[in-house]
Order: sequence, then C-alpha cells, then structure tokens
Amino acid sequence: MKRFIHHSELARDRRFIRAENILATILGSLPDDADAVAEAFERLDPLVAESVKGTAAEPLYEEFGCAFGIVATNEPLDPGSPAVETRLKLRMHGIFVGEMQALEGAGRSLWDFPDAPWEFKMNMARQCWDEARHVQIYEKLLEHCGGYVGMFPESTFLFEACCHEDPALRVAGVNRGLEGLACDVFRDMIKFAEKTGDEKMKQAVDYVLADELTHVRFGSDWVREFTKDDPERYKRAQDYRREVDKQFSFGGARSDREDAVIPIARADRKEAGFTDEELEELSQISSGGPSRKTLAQAAAILIERHKARRAGNQQAAE
Amino acid sequence: MSDAPSGAQQPGERTTFEPYSAFDIPADLRELHGRWDVEATARRVRNFRYAEEWMMMIMGGWLATVPELPVKTGLGKVIWESAQAADILGRRLPELRCGRKSVDSSESPNDAFAAVIRDVAAPEQAALTIEKLTGMFDVLKPHLVEVYEWTMRETDQIADAPTIELLDEIVRKTRRHIAWAKEVLDRLCDTDAKRDRRVKRKKQVLQMLREAGGVTGEQDVASD
Repeated sequence: MKRFIHHSELARDRRFIRAENILATILGSLPDDADAVAEAFERLDPLVAESVKGTAAEPLYEEFGCAFGIVATNEPLDPGSPAVETRLKLRMHGIFVGEMQALEGAGRSLWDFPDAPWEFKMNMARQCWDEARHVQIYEKLLEHCGGYVGMFPESTFLFEACCHEDPALRVAGVNRGLEGLACDVFRDMIKFAEKTGDEKMKQAVDYVLADELTHVRFGSDWVREFTKDDPERYKRAQDYRREVDKQFSFGGARSDREDAVIPIARADRKEAGFTDEELEELSQISSGGPSRKTLAQAAAILIERHKARRAGNQQAAE
Repeated sequence: MSDAPSGAQQPGERTTFEPYSAFDIPADLRELHGRWDVEATARRVRNFRYAEEWMMMIMGGWLATVPELPVKTGLGKVIWESAQAADILGRRLPELRCGRKSVDSSESPNDAFAAVIRDVAAPEQAALTIEKLTGMFDVLKPHLVEVYEWTMRETDQIADAPTIELLDEIVRKTRRHIAWAKEVLDRLCDTDAKRDRRVKRKKQVLQMLREAGGVTGEQDVASD
C-alpha cells in the first residue's frame, strides 16, 4: 500500500457523486463585487450542471442555475426561512462527508507516518474511532432531517486542503484547521437545535463537539512537539494552518463578520487550545471575501441569466 | 496483667488462625513454572506488539480506499482497539526488565513475518475489500487469538499473571473483531467468484504465515 494518496482516490460506494473541489473553495478567492462573483460562478456553470446530475441538487439547479450554491448555503440556518429544510439537508450532508474525510485523514496519518511517536499514533487511532462514530451520528441526523446519503454531490476539498506530507503540517491542517472549522459549525448546529427544540440533534452534536475539542488539542500538542527546536518548521506549520483557515472560511461565510453564516466559536476554540492571538488572526483571515449582501446580488444576477437562458432554449425548441 | 485486649496476640505467640484457613477452598491448583522465562516472554510481547501496531496502521491506511461505508466506520473502532492492544503490550515491557523506554518497542520475529505483514497490507484498490479483510480477519487475527490463548495456558500462571490478564482482554476484543468481519465478508462474498477470491486469499496468507512460523517465528500455524 503506497503512502500519500491523492484526494481523487478516496473510495466511495455507488451512492456518492463527486463534485469539483473548486466549487467549494472559489468564494475565498473572490472580491466583494457582485459582478465579479457572478462572472466567476458563470464560468463554473458547466461543472455545477454536471455535478448535480442525479442528486437532490438537480431541481435546485433547474430553478436557480449555478446560483443555488450561493442561495442555499450562504444564508444562516434560520428556522423561519422557507428554504431552511433544504439548507439543513445540505449542511448535514456536507458535515457527513466532512466527517468521512476527517476519518480518512486520521487513518492516513497512521499509515503515512509509520515512524511517528507512539503517542501520536494512539491519538490518531482514537481519532479514527471518534470520526467513525461521527460519520454514523451524522448519517442518522441526516435521515432525522429527511435526507439521505449521496443526495448531494461530495467535494473532497477538505481532504485535499489539509492532508500534507509533513506530519506537523498534516496535524496543523486536519486537527487545527478542519477540526477547528468543525467546532464553529457544530456550535452553530447546537444553536439551531436549541431554537427548534430538537433535543436529539442538540445532544448528539454536543457530544461530537466535545470530541472535536479533543482532536484540536491533539493538533495543538503535536504541532508543538513536531516543531520543537525547529522555528522554521513551526512557521511553515502556522502558515499552512492560515492557508487552510482561509480556504475553510468560504469567503467570510465562516467568520467573525456580522453577516457570517457560521460564527467563529471562540469559547469552544479557546477551550481546545487556540490562543487569543490565533483567534484574532483567524478573525482577520476569515473576514475577507464577498459580503452576504454582495452574494445575494450576485445570485440575483445569475438567476436572471439562468431564467433568460432557459426561456431562450425553450423558444428555440418551439 | 497485660493491657492487651483478650484474644490479642502476645509477643512470641503464634497467631491463632489455621494456615490458609480462609483460602483453601477452593484450593489454588496453579503450579509454578511456565514455558518461557522473563526474557523469552518479553520477546514474545514485542512480537505481539509488532503485529498489533502494524495491523492498526494498515487498517488506518485502508479507511480511505475501502468504499463500503459500514466497513469504513467499523474499522474505526477496530483500529482504536488494536492501538489499545499494542499500548498495553508495550506497557508490559518495562515490567519484564526491558527498560522504561521500551514501551513502544515492537519486533518482528523474522523477515518472513515482516513479509506477511507487508502482504496483508498490499491490497490497495477500492475493488479489493475482500482481499483486505480476508488477510486481516480470516487469517492474521484468528492466528493471534490462537497464539495468545496458547500463551495464556502455557506461561507461568502466577508469576506471569499480568501478561495473562492483558492477553485475556485483547482476545476478548479480537474475537469481536473477527465476528464483525465474518459478517461483513459473508455479505460481501455473495457470488461463487467472490467466495473463491476469499478462499484463495486466505490460503495465500496462511501459507506465508506458516512459513514464517507465525507471529513468534516458532509457532505451528493451523491449516484452517
């Protein structure tokens, strides 16, 4: 068995449909400009159309065109919103596949670094069991919300973004970047469950969040251990974590901004070992990107173009 | 007259209790002397740890290349319990005069057993779940259960009781792993062609294991 696999090699059963990773990461690279956002998404339209085929996202694409990604995911989970059910299923499915990639990432850390210290292997082995349980939990929560496995395309950008070949950078990416993002998302899910009185979801996610804090602590400890007496490597690990944090902020959707869809869970992150300095830095890194207002404008432009195209196609067909 | 309460033992007196009075039913039938001395047991524990550590790492690598979701999630727990097995084996080593730093020592008995481990790890493609699980759960883990149980029977029952206790715990969990994988493999092998793949793979790994002398390099390996 070789070491260090490409994200495209992640094995899935026939229920899963793979999406291009750029669809998940593009927002982080766009300016706060509705036309620029619309142009960028317009270019990705063929990829979106291809990736949604045969999934529950296909009707959304039919209705909104490639803007559905903006419409569906870049609004908070508001129990009163008419689209909340779709948003919830999208969120749950995204978390479910994210947990699966976290499981695979932890497992590969065992195989990719055979000479790592024993305590590191113990931590990663424990993380494998935890992530496996998280996959099982989110599969059940997805069904609890009326969804099912494979209903939306899967992007493997989480695995791609954080599975580095240097163990110090791997744990910086997986255990601090990815698991830190999980802390933010899960705190938001708990708040949603509290608002809707969903005790089942609240309790299950609360347990998962407790595990994630432990995984972030693993990351904090091992970045320190792997880079001790090597300031250059420590700097590389921190730079890498910043890069991952930038990607995982989805253009400000996860940030400290007032219009953030997922706020940074500062209290949870502090308990997990993030310093005030790191949290300030994360706040700055994640705040860039188009505002929610800009995204709504871009979505309106895209929907209008999509409908015009549809009408044109229909006329031509007649 | 003494200040001691009535019935208390006086200097120079024997105790009033009969020897072993409270403990001779049932009698302790265990006998001293086992098959291995301290050094040999330490070597065997390092051999066991080598197998458990590598099984844990191999299954970690497979998580990404196994497409069946219940297999991915099921392996997660097996990985953790294999890591715990390696950990408690390692913690026995300093107690067997191997030094405090020996807790993470693993040792293959010979090159042939290291080759067995490499062969068990070899199936990589997504289509090879049957080959992956068969090598691990139809051959290697059952062999370990057999050797661990034999060790528990043959080692000094009193002097080496800590080894017996930890192996007992490992065997209990490993039997669960084998039962889980049997159910998975029985489901996966739903055609004659797939059942043949399982049989062929089992034969192949078993043959290598036999040639290596098993996990300790000195063990007869059962043919099935």
